[in-house]
Amino acid sequence: MSAIAYSLAVFVLLSAVATALFRDVLSAIVVFAAYSLGMAILYTYLLAPDVAMTEAAIGAGVTTILLLLTIARTTRPSAEEVFERVDVPAVVVVGAFVLVLATLLPDMYAVGTQDAPIWGQGVLSETPTVHYVQEAYAETHAHNAVSAVLASYRGFDTFGEAVVVFAAGIAVLLVLKREVFA
Amino acid sequence: MIESGLEILASRYAYALMFVLMGIGLYMVIANENLVKKLIGVNLFQTAIFLFFIAVAYVEGGSAPIVPAESGEAVASPLPQVIVLTAIVVGIALTAVGLALVVRIYAEYGTLREDTLREVRADE
Repeated sequence: MSAIAYSLAVFVLLSAVATALFRDVLSAIVVFAAYSLGMAILYTYLLAPDVAMTEAAIGAGVTTILLLLTIARTTRPSAEEVFERVDVPAVVVVGAFVLVLATLLPDMYAVGTQDAPIWGQGVLSETPTVHYVQEAYAETHAHNAVSAVLASYRGFDTFGEAVVVFAAGIAVLLVLKREVFA
Repeated sequence: MIESGLEILASRYAYALMFVLMGIGLYMVIANENLVKKLIGVNLFQTAIFLFFIAVAYVEGGSAPIVPAESGEAVASPLPQVIVLTAIVVGIALTAVGLALVVRIYAEYGTLREDTLREVRADE
């Protein structure tokens, strides 16, 4: 718990609000890339360097490129005003949604505490987390527990992910009517 | 009352941030007329949920999940991190399909604004 985490949280929050409010799509895309980068740094702070690298490469990199390609092939609305008008009914609906979620906040475990069930406290003693942390090296000989779980314990999951990406690639080609082997 | 509320907010800041980011993503999907911005909203909503998983895996004073950990040293949980890694890649696949549909919609109707699109389709 430090000033770094709080200032990152504020940065991420401000860039998210700016993304929602910029009328010019190009500005929104650029601010969204900054948001992804801020999120990646927050992940690093929260001890997830693998996720942070993926987020920086895919969230801030590939997503931005795809969005830019899309507005290059379609249109970028000419902006007379800098910001969008705020849609009041939508704000009310979203505000209600966030308030309902916020009532759950006191019942959640504090960030970073080891009292939560995933750490094997309370009724559960042998959770997947505890098992992976203790046994991953002996069972898979990978020092990085994330790659041990990704490629070994949950290898089929990762295979399914590859299938999803393949299906998405086919869907994109179909939608854009590109014939690869023509 | 207010003090305990602030304490809850400070100790659960990542979850509070996640709720607000989910709200902003939802707002973008509902209120922004431009289809590209709606897709950015979907992405924003997604990253909020990723933040939730990463915050659950975090352990105060620990280190990244490199094993075997030194005795007495806590490491972050690898399982939620792996799920987020998978979800990020699936998310980019989803975005790519969505953007391809946006490109097709523009080629067909010449607009990306939802209200104009509704009018054009009503006239057909």
